[in-house]
Amino acid sequence: MTIIIRFIIVSTTLAFFSFFYFYINEDKYYPGADFTISEMPNFKLKDLYSERLFKIEDLEGTFLINVWASWCITCRVEHNFLTKLDSKNIPIIGLNYKDEEKDAISWINRFGDPYKFIIHDYKGELALDLGVTGAPETFLLNDGKIIAHYRGEVNDMIWEDVFKPIIKKENLFNVN
Amino acid sequence: MLIRFFLFFSMIFSNLTISESLYKFDNAEDEKRFYSLIKEIRCPKCTSGSLASSNAPVSEDIKSKIIELIKEGKSNQEIKEFLSDRFGNQVLYNPGLNKDTYFLWFAPGLFLIMILLIFFFRKKT
Repeated sequence: MTIIIRFIIVSTTLAFFSFFYFYINEDKYYPGADFTISEMPNFKLKDLYSERLFKIEDLEGTFLINVWASWCITCRVEHNFLTKLDSKNIPIIGLNYKDEEKDAISWINRFGDPYKFIIHDYKGELALDLGVTGAPETFLLNDGKIIAHYRGEVNDMIWEDVFKPIIKKENLFNVN
Repeated sequence: MLIRFFLFFSMIFSNLTISESLYKFDNAEDEKRFYSLIKEIRCPKCTSGSLASSNAPVSEDIKSKIIELIKEGKSNQEIKEFLSDRFGNQVLYNPGLNKDTYFLWFAPGLFLIMILLIFFFRKKT
């Protein structure tokens, strides 16, 4: 009996410490990253430049959706990296979040346009449905399903650690 | 003179616009539900603050969405599910029973059982 009790005590203590040890030491753990697979919500929103309406059917295939706004300072920092991704032929769709049309357009004219097209979400309706808490946020969409969501600035490190593994796993964009 | 007159009246009536309620509800029951819900839901942008305590843009959006859902006749449970689907389980203050929270829920019980075992089976010296 004492042996069993001793065994229980030792193993629980070990289990307890190892739980926290592995939890704390988990490598490449990013609190902003979420890999829950979810359906892309339905929406009907205007193009930033024209009166054209975008619907969920316009989002076929694989691409990134980047939530940005002209008032968002981190988006300005992130912009250079998005331009780099665009030059590597990775399709990015912009979701302009709670922004004035003219501010957004002048921002794009000033810093360049890495986006395939930009959806203008003035009231943040689609953003709320996507679970956006602020800008910038980036989603990876594959065949109508969101397979990755990152809250915060995407840069070289985040791209390598958060997006690259899932892109390689799913074999998207021909990235290696 | 006219300007003074105008200022005087704007002073008198300005508090009327302020005192008006920020959110509009169909009935008192809905209003009560709304104010209890926003205390149970965390603001996703704040480290730890409820929607009720937060004026962050996203909290304001969520609050108006909650009112919309209440008006559509959704239950509290449905509203909470709607939000946790989008913002993750961490928006709910009450942690539900799922694979991330097993440790949280059962560890204290296990510890208690372990301590009781030790207590009852210890060697009496």
